[in-house]
Amino acid sequence: MARRRGYRELVEADLDIMPLMNLFVVLIPMLLLSAVFVEISTIDMNLPPADSEFSGEDEGLQLSVRMEPDRYVVHGHGIRTRTVDRSGEDAADALTRVLVDIARQHPEEHAVRIESAPAERYQEIVAVMDIGRDAGLASIGLAGLPDSGRSPREAR
Amino acid sequence: MPMRLRHRRRIPAPPTGLRITSMMDILTVLLLFLLKSFVAEGEVVTPAPGVALPESHSELTPEASLVIAVAGDRISIGDQVVVALDGSVDGGLGEGLDIEPLARHLQQARQQQMHLARSRGEEEQWRGKVTIQGDRNMSFAVLQRVMFTCNQSGFDDVALAVIRG
Repeated sequence: MARRRGYRELVEADLDIMPLMNLFVVLIPMLLLSAVFVEISTIDMNLPPADSEFSGEDEGLQLSVRMEPDRYVVHGHGIRTRTVDRSGEDAADALTRVLVDIARQHPEEHAVRIESAPAERYQEIVAVMDIGRDAGLASIGLAGLPDSGRSPREAR
Repeated sequence: MPMRLRHRRRIPAPPTGLRITSMMDILTVLLLFLLKSFVAEGEVVTPAPGVALPESHSELTPEASLVIAVAGDRISIGDQVVVALDGSVDGGLGEGLDIEPLARHLQQARQQQMHLARSRGEEEQWRGKVTIQGDRNMSFAVLQRVMFTCNQSGFDDVALAVIRG
């Protein structure tokens, strides 16, 4: 049984990947079903209890950002009122700088109230909330502008 | 010489089986991507249909709570439409801050949650939690009314759902 010279029998030695394929076929649909492609987070708003009375809160800085159609007005007790042009591309950066400056001068202050007109878009309000938090003012309150014809209701 | 040539032609043919190496590559990449996006903690929240949530830097993980969805034309709790909005600034909700149909549903939800908490002996610890999934184009007038109604109905722990941007 001499083998012919120049001929060598080739032996297939492929890895058997069928079990791995089976695993993938099960795992991928399961993970696809539980996958979250849009990450959702939340902004906490602690409202005062319904039976609590609205107080004037004369104490403290009472820092507020009033969202007017063309500008932000930052005001409070004992600080100079500052305005930031809303139409510019760097409006968010300018407002951040103003709030960071105030937060640095009043390190004990962590609250800011955002006053919005009734027609103000929700996305714009959330953007100002972000700016406030970036500046270190973690406690955000919401209030309607007095020109809406109602007294401002706070949500802090 | 002709005999030699004939022998050379007898080289075994290449294997003709299905080549799945490239498919395995794709599946491996897909599997790694899905494993990375697998959420194993917190509450998995899906945005309500028709609601484009605003973007925010907030990184707070959502908690299990009652969800109020405010789309452009309706306010709903779960799958149930509670109030229809007309697209105006105040959504056609009128002058008052209280949204009565929403308040009724919230009162019912509160009673159910209180009943459950009472049966577990956790009545004292119960706190009304609600998550508002509001459309990014919603006006402040509508948001204010929804938050006010939640507050008046005993749900004073309000979270605003946002897309992590």
